[in-house]
Amino acid sequence: MAERYSSFEPGGRRWLWQRITAAFLVVVLAFHFFLLHFVNHADEVSFLASSARMTDLTYYSLMVLFLITATFHGVNGVYNALENQGLTGTKKQVVKYTLIAASIVLVVQGIRTANAWAGLPTF
Amino acid sequence: MSQSYDRGLVEDFGRWREFSAGMWAWVFHKFTGWVLVGYLFTHIAVLSTAISAAGQTQAIAAENDVYTTVITALESLLVVRILEVGLLAVAVFHILNGCRLLLVDLGIGLDSQDKSFYASLVLTGAIVVASVPTFLAGVFG
Amino acid sequence: MSTHVPETETETDTEAETEVEHSEPLAPAQEERMRKKAEARADREERARQEAAERATGDDDTVHLKVFRFDPEVEGKQEPRFDDFHVPYEKGMTVLDALIYARDTFDSSLTFRHSCRQAICGSDALFINGRQRLGCKTQLSDLDQPVRVEPLPHAEVEKDLVVDMDHFYDQMEAVEPYFDADELPDGELDEQRQTRENREKVKMSTRCIWCGACMSSCNIAAGNNEYLGPAAINKAYRFAMDEREGTERKQHRLNILEQENGVWRCQTQFSCTEVCPKDIPLTEHIQELKREAVKSNLKFW
Repeated sequence: MAERYSSFEPGGRRWLWQRITAAFLVVVLAFHFFLLHFVNHADEVSFLASSARMTDLTYYSLMVLFLITATFHGVNGVYNALENQGLTGTKKQVVKYTLIAASIVLVVQGIRTANAWAGLPTF
Repeated sequence: MSQSYDRGLVEDFGRWREFSAGMWAWVFHKFTGWVLVGYLFTHIAVLSTAISAAGQTQAIAAENDVYTTVITALESLLVVRILEVGLLAVAVFHILNGCRLLLVDLGIGLDSQDKSFYASLVLTGAIVVASVPTFLAGVFG
Repeated sequence: MSTHVPETETETDTEAETEVEHSEPLAPAQEERMRKKAEARADREERARQEAAERATGDDDTVHLKVFRFDPEVEGKQEPRFDDFHVPYEKGMTVLDALIYARDTFDSSLTFRHSCRQAICGSDALFINGRQRLGCKTQLSDLDQPVRVEPLPHAEVEKDLVVDMDHFYDQMEAVEPYFDADELPDGELDEQRQTRENREKVKMSTRCIWCGACMSSCNIAAGNNEYLGPAAINKAYRFAMDEREGTERKQHRLNILEQENGVWRCQTQFSCTEVCPKDIPLTEHIQELKREAVKSNLKFW
């Protein structure tokens, strides 16, 4: 029977990364919420204020890393959910590449936005 | 020559009322996960108005560039503010239950997994209620 | 379990007579034991009296069962329905007892699996009042009435309460559920001894009776037929954690388990752990195997 399960794509690595990103996101998401709703109020937001934060290199790199991990964690979570539903074959491949494409678009757009604030080229 | 019968809906009869803590935790975690991914995409979409605002030096100084106006307009809507409170609830639960799941993955406290689920629910409620004033500040004024 | 409370009065009478014959002086410990026994006997007699009284007054005491019925081979029974049975209640009666009574007394076509009646054979896992339980291990007194008895969810119904278990058995076999050591001892008759600690580690996992309750309760196994499911993974745990098998064999076992539809599909809902009639900590075992798989992969890098 074992050959029925040999897909040669062990999910172990994705499982582990989902946990590693989770541990990171717990801290950074809490920080993000705290900073942008309690320290700075969302209704007082302005380009200048966002820009002031983003020109700080530490903050910039933290936010980019936040974007990448959040995208991975979220999109991988969606993929897992669909996998649990028993998605297989061509449909699964289509979903997989659609999700990957969406993630790339999201990350690129996010970095462009961050660059706009940081005064870097938005390519 | 026995043919079997798929019970369809009979099969799920009464199931949701019989769910245990672990099952509810999973349902909520999945739901909040979907909401958060959805929000991540819209969040970046809204924020990327900053890209087109980047060149307008004068407008930025006067705080009437595209980005600032869009965000301020959104924040002045009561619906948006209420949705933000909802987002906070969703995020806080996902964080707390996520911590619970990390512990479960590490094999810590599996016997009290139901209690930790209830704890994350209660804590989420408390944090959200405490944050309502901050989140709704200024929208009525 | 399923055995009825016997008529105790006659037994205790004869016991009492034999006790009297002990006239020689007894050691204090023995005396203490005798005293305890006497107390227990008095307790039993009291209980028997109460039960007799209850029987005398509550003759019309019945349990209301609602039982799922379906028979593909008889026209008119192909549409699933629920039949009501009112079974006379006896103290200590289990759901299986009631089903047997209903079959023997009211409707001989009522079909369900059962064998040992003491939660060992694993043939009578049923969906009772919205939860997977063993019929023989579930006291009617613990249930709300009417007691709703259905075949296990997420399996094809063959007839009445009987479901097709083939897929479940396939999954169990997929993990190669047999002891297979890398190295055998030299002598043909040498024992392959296990340390006490190791035995303790796999103890709970050996309790599985293949009843399928966990598999039926698992939300993921319901949606994804290829997921190995809690029972099979637990079975694999029993052998993967057995130190006598050796590292090579363990690696092979982990390779089976870390396929996409192996351990990773577990979402730690704890449904299986909740319903397991043998109290096997299934989720804990699955989680441990996940960590083992990750560890062995990290070693490979």
